[in-house]
Amino acid sequence: MFKPSLMLSALLFASGGAQASELQDVNKIVQQANLAAYYAADDGRAEARMLIEDRDGGRQSRQFTILRRDRAEGGDQDFLVAFSRPADVRNTVFMVAKHVAADDDRWLYLPGLDLVKRISAGDKRTSFMGSHYFYEDVSGRNLNDDEHKLLSSEGRFYQVLNTPKDPATVEFSRYQVWIDKANMLPVKIEYQDETGSVYRRVEVLDISEVQGIPTVTRSRVSDLRSGGSTTMEFRFQKYNIGLDDAVFSERSLRKLPRQWLKRPAS
Amino acid sequence: MLLRNRLIGFCMNQPRWIFIFVLLLAALAALQIPNIQIDTDPENMLSHEQPDRMFHDEVKKRFKLYDSIVVGAVNDRDENGIYNPESLRDLHRLSAAIQQMEGVVRQDLMSLDTVDNITQEGPGTIRFAWMMKQAPVTQAQADQVRAAVNRLPLLQNTLVSGDGQAAAIYVPIVAKSESYRLSQEIDAVIASLGSENRYYMAGLPVAEDTFGVEMFVQMAISAPLAGLMIFVLMWYFFRSFLLITAPMLVAMATVIITMGLLIGQGYTVHIMSSMIPIFLMPIAVVDSVHILSEFADRYKPGTDPRQALREVLGHLFTPMLYTSITSAAGFASLAFTPIPPVQIFGLHVAAGIFLAFFLTFILVPAYIVSLSPQRMARLQDHRIVDEDSGALGRWLSAAGRFSLARSKLLLLGLIAIGSLSVWGIAQIQINDNPLRWFKEDHRLRIADQVMNNHFSGTYDAFLVLEEQGVTTAKPRLIRQLQAASVAADAGFRQQLDSHIAAAEADSFQVFADNLVAAFDDAGFSASDADARRWLALLNMTEQAQAEAKYFLRPDALSYVEGLQAYLDQSADVGKTNSLVTLLKTVYRELNGGAEPAYRLPDTQAAAAQTILSFQSSHRPDDLWHMVTPDYSSTALWLQLRSGDNQDMSRVIAQVDSYFRDNPLPQGVSARWAGLSYINVVWQDEMVKGMLNSLLSAFVMVLVMMVVLFRSLPLGLLSMLPLTVTILFIYGLIGWVGKDYDMPIAVLSALTLGLSVDFAIHFLERTRAIYRRQGDWQQTVAEVCRGPARAISRNAIVVAIGFTPLLLAPLVPYITVGFFLAAIMAVSALVTLVLLPAVMNHLSDKKRLFSCPDSRPEEKQNV
Repeated sequence: MFKPSLMLSALLFASGGAQASELQDVNKIVQQANLAAYYAADDGRAEARMLIEDRDGGRQSRQFTILRRDRAEGGDQDFLVAFSRPADVRNTVFMVAKHVAADDDRWLYLPGLDLVKRISAGDKRTSFMGSHYFYEDVSGRNLNDDEHKLLSSEGRFYQVLNTPKDPATVEFSRYQVWIDKANMLPVKIEYQDETGSVYRRVEVLDISEVQGIPTVTRSRVSDLRSGGSTTMEFRFQKYNIGLDDAVFSERSLRKLPRQWLKRPAS
Repeated sequence: MLLRNRLIGFCMNQPRWIFIFVLLLAALAALQIPNIQIDTDPENMLSHEQPDRMFHDEVKKRFKLYDSIVVGAVNDRDENGIYNPESLRDLHRLSAAIQQMEGVVRQDLMSLDTVDNITQEGPGTIRFAWMMKQAPVTQAQADQVRAAVNRLPLLQNTLVSGDGQAAAIYVPIVAKSESYRLSQEIDAVIASLGSENRYYMAGLPVAEDTFGVEMFVQMAISAPLAGLMIFVLMWYFFRSFLLITAPMLVAMATVIITMGLLIGQGYTVHIMSSMIPIFLMPIAVVDSVHILSEFADRYKPGTDPRQALREVLGHLFTPMLYTSITSAAGFASLAFTPIPPVQIFGLHVAAGIFLAFFLTFILVPAYIVSLSPQRMARLQDHRIVDEDSGALGRWLSAAGRFSLARSKLLLLGLIAIGSLSVWGIAQIQINDNPLRWFKEDHRLRIADQVMNNHFSGTYDAFLVLEEQGVTTAKPRLIRQLQAASVAADAGFRQQLDSHIAAAEADSFQVFADNLVAAFDDAGFSASDADARRWLALLNMTEQAQAEAKYFLRPDALSYVEGLQAYLDQSADVGKTNSLVTLLKTVYRELNGGAEPAYRLPDTQAAAAQTILSFQSSHRPDDLWHMVTPDYSSTALWLQLRSGDNQDMSRVIAQVDSYFRDNPLPQGVSARWAGLSYINVVWQDEMVKGMLNSLLSAFVMVLVMMVVLFRSLPLGLLSMLPLTVTILFIYGLIGWVGKDYDMPIAVLSALTLGLSVDFAIHFLERTRAIYRRQGDWQQTVAEVCRGPARAISRNAIVVAIGFTPLLLAPLVPYITVGFFLAAIMAVSALVTLVLLPAVMNHLSDKKRLFSCPDSRPEEKQNV
C-alpha cells in the first residue's frame, strides 16, 4: 500500500477527499490512503531537509527539492529530486518515472562525475541517499505487491496489516499501517521481521493544511536495530503549480529546471 | 615479643576459641565465593584509564565497530569449492539462524546473504542488489555469486577466501562475554544442518571467552588436585595423618579466606588470580610442618606440651617471619607492574602468605594442645627420623663432599652457565598470543589455522588517521563570518551573532549545517542587499564545511591510498580495507566497471557523489566503519593472519618507517587500535613492569637478608642461588626459543620470593653450626646431614605441589607449573651444591660467620 511514503510522498501531497465516513473494504481504504499520501492535487513541489542521526548522536543532513507530477490519479507519476546541500553533492539529481503496471524507470545524475546513470529496476528497498528512508518510500510501494487485511477500524485509525505476495523481494515479513480516518493519511507504519518483532518504524510527526490539503510536513523513519533515525522536514510546499512533461525528461538531469526548483515567492 | 607470647599463650589455653574464630573467618570468606566473576578479557590487562585502551574504546565507538566471532565454512572437496548450491544453501541457513540470535548485532553481520552487490546491467545502467538474498539453486547461479565476489575487493578474501573454498560469516556481538554462549548456539545450528561443509570459529573474542569457561573448570580440578598432591606427599614423608591434619587445615583456611577476600572486594578472577590457591597451598603447609616436626622432636611424653610448644614457637618465629616476608615481598612486588590483574594477584598471594603465617601460629598450637595424651604419644612415634642411610640422605652427603672437593670446577661451571644464560636471555623472544593459551589440538587452534590459511586473516588491527583542523574550524569560521560582516549595519551583525549562537552544536559539520539553513532562511526573507550578504556568508560557510571534510579531499585520499598500497605488499598484513577501497570500487562501477576505472575520483565533489551512490545500497552505514560522518577521521582495517604480538609489532614498525619516508600530511596524526594492537601494548607494559618488579623485589629481599644476617657478605651470598636460578631459567627459555609471554613474565618476581627461603635456612644453619664446630669441612658435612634434608624436602613439597598444573588443558597453567617446579628444584640444588663451593673459596670463614660475638641462643631450624 501506500505506505511508506508517508514521508516523502506525503510530503507534498495529501488528498483532499478523505471523508469521515467509515469504510469497510480494506482495498478501498488502502487506495484512499495511497491517494492521500502520494497523489495530492495534480502536481506539487516541496523543499526537504533530511536529518540523518545515528545511535550515538552523530548527524548528517541533506537538503533537496522534490517535484512531482501525476500522469493519472492513482496511476503513473514522475518525481524529480534535486540535491542542494551539502555543497559537494549539489545538483545531484534523482529522477523516477513510476509505473503502476511495470517497473519504474530511475535515473541518477552525478555532476561531479558528469555521469547520468540509469538505476536498474531491481530492488527499491535500498537506502535513499544514505538515509533510513528507502527509495520505495519516496515513490510509494505498489498496492498490488501486498495482501491487505483490515485489523481494526476502532477509534481514530484504520489498522491494516500488509503481507508481501513475494516475500523473497523484501526484507520484512509484514507491516502494519495506521491510517488516520480524518484525512486518510497513513501516519504510522511498523515493519516486522520473520519473528514478528518490529525493527523499523515510519511515523508522521506533523501535518499541516497546504492549499486546503492535509499535508505531511514532518516525518521520521527509525531503524530500531541500529538505533538510527532520519527525520524529514518539508517546507515551501505548493500544489498545482503546472509542471509539464519536459521537467521530467532526461535533459533535466544535466540542466535543472530552475524555475520550478526556485522557492515560490511567499 | 610480649604480644607474641601472650597470643601463643591464649591459643594454647583457649584452643576452642581459636577454632571458632578461624572457622567463622573461613565461613565468612566462603560466603563470598559464589559471587565469583571470571574475567579473561586481555583488554583488562590494561586499566580502563590506560591511554591506548581508551583510544581503542573511542575508536570502536567512533567507527561503530564491534568485537566479532568469525564463522568459517570450508568445502575443499567440491571442485567449485564453497561456490556450489548445497554449500551456499547451508551457509545461507546458518547465517539466517545466527542473525536471529540474541546478542548479535544483526544489522552489521557480514555474510554473502547480507551484503550488497553493485553490478553493470547493460550500458549506462547500474544495479544495486543483495549479493545472495536467496541461496542459489543451480551451479550457474553459484558461479554468478563467485564472479560478483571476485569483482569486489571489499569482499574478496574477506567474505570468501581467494581459493574459493571457504566463506566467512562475521558475527558482530554486543558483548565479548557472550562469545562462548553464542559459539555454543552456533555449533548447535551447525550440527542441525547436516552440512557437507566443515565449520570453524575464530576471532579473539571467542578464544578469550572460551578460555574463561575452561579456566573455571581448570580451577575446580587443579586446586583440589594440588591439595591432594601435597597431602599424599606429606603422607609419604611423615606417615601420620595426625601430623599432617594441621598443615592441611592451615592450607585450606588460607586458600578459602584469601579467595573470599579477593572476591568479596569485588575483584574479578583473572587467569593469574585463578592460580592463587595453587600457589598458596604448598607455601601454607611448609611452616606448620616445621613446627610439628620440631615439636615431635622435643616433646617428652607425659609432660605438658605447652612448654615444648612455647620453646619451638619461640625460636621458629623469627626465621618464619622472615621467610614469609621475603616470599610475600616477591609476590607483592608484582604491584609495581602496571597490569591490574597481575597486581591483584601479587598482593593477594602476599596477603595469603602472611595469613598462612598467622594461621600457622595460632592454629597449630591450638591443634596440638587439643590432642589427647594418647594421640600425643602417637605423634611422638611419628617424629621424623633423619636417617642418614636413606637415599636422600646419602645423596645429600655425597653432594656436600662433592661441592667442596670440586669447588673450583663448580665455580667455573657457575661462570660458564651464568655467561651462557646471559647469552640465552639476550635471545629471548618477547611474544604472546592469547590463542596459544590453548593446546595445539584444541578446536580453536585448529580453526585458527584453517581460517587463516584460507583467508587474509581473522585478527584485526585498525590504523586510524585523524585530521586536527576540524577542532579549530568552528572558531575560525565564526571569525571569518564576523570579519566579512563588519561593513553591514548593526542589525545584520546582531542577527548574525544570534544565528551563530543558535547554531551551537558539538560537531563542526552540524554547526555549519545549522548556520547554512539559518542563512538560507534569513536571505529568503531579507531585502536584496541583505540577501546578497546572507548568500555570501552561506557560501563562506559551505566552503569551510567542504574544507573540513578532510578525508574527501583528493590529496588526503591519495595519501591513504599510498599507505594502503604499502601495507598490502607487507608479508605480515593479509589484507586491508579502507575508504579508498570503497571509493575505487564504486567509482569503477559508476564508470562502466572496467579495470582502468578502478581509481580514486578526481575531485572532492566526485568523491562525495561516489559515496552518495554507495549509500544508495542496503548497507549505507558500512561507510561509517571506515570514516566518520564529518570525514575528519578514517580507519584502515588490517586483517592479520597471526595473533602473535611479534607480527603486530613488526607491522607497527613498518608503518613507522613508512611515515618516516612519507611524512603524514600537516595536521594529520595516526594511531593504532584493535585487539591485536592492545595485546602488544599490555605485553610491553608487562615486560617493563616485570623488570621493575624483579629489581625492586631483589633490592627489598637483599636488604632484608642483610638485616636478618646482620652481614653484607651473607646477605649477598643468600641472593646467589636465586640469582643463578633466575638467570639459568630465563637463559633456558632463550635457548629453547620459548616465547617470553605472560605466564613466563610473572614467574621471575615470585621465584625470587620463594627460593630465597632455601638460602636463608641454609646460611643460618651453616653459620650456627660453624660457630659451634669451628671447622669448615665438618660444618658442611653436618649441614648436609640435617638442614639440607629439610630444605630438599621443602623444595620437593613445593615443586611437586605445583605439578597438577601440568595436567591442565590450558597452556599458561602448564607453563607456570613446569617452570615453578623447575625453579624450585634448580634453586634447591644450587643452594645445596653451589653455596658451599663458593664459601669454600672465601678464606676468612670466621669473619664471614662473625664468630667472635657468636650468639649461642640463636638457632635456626629448618
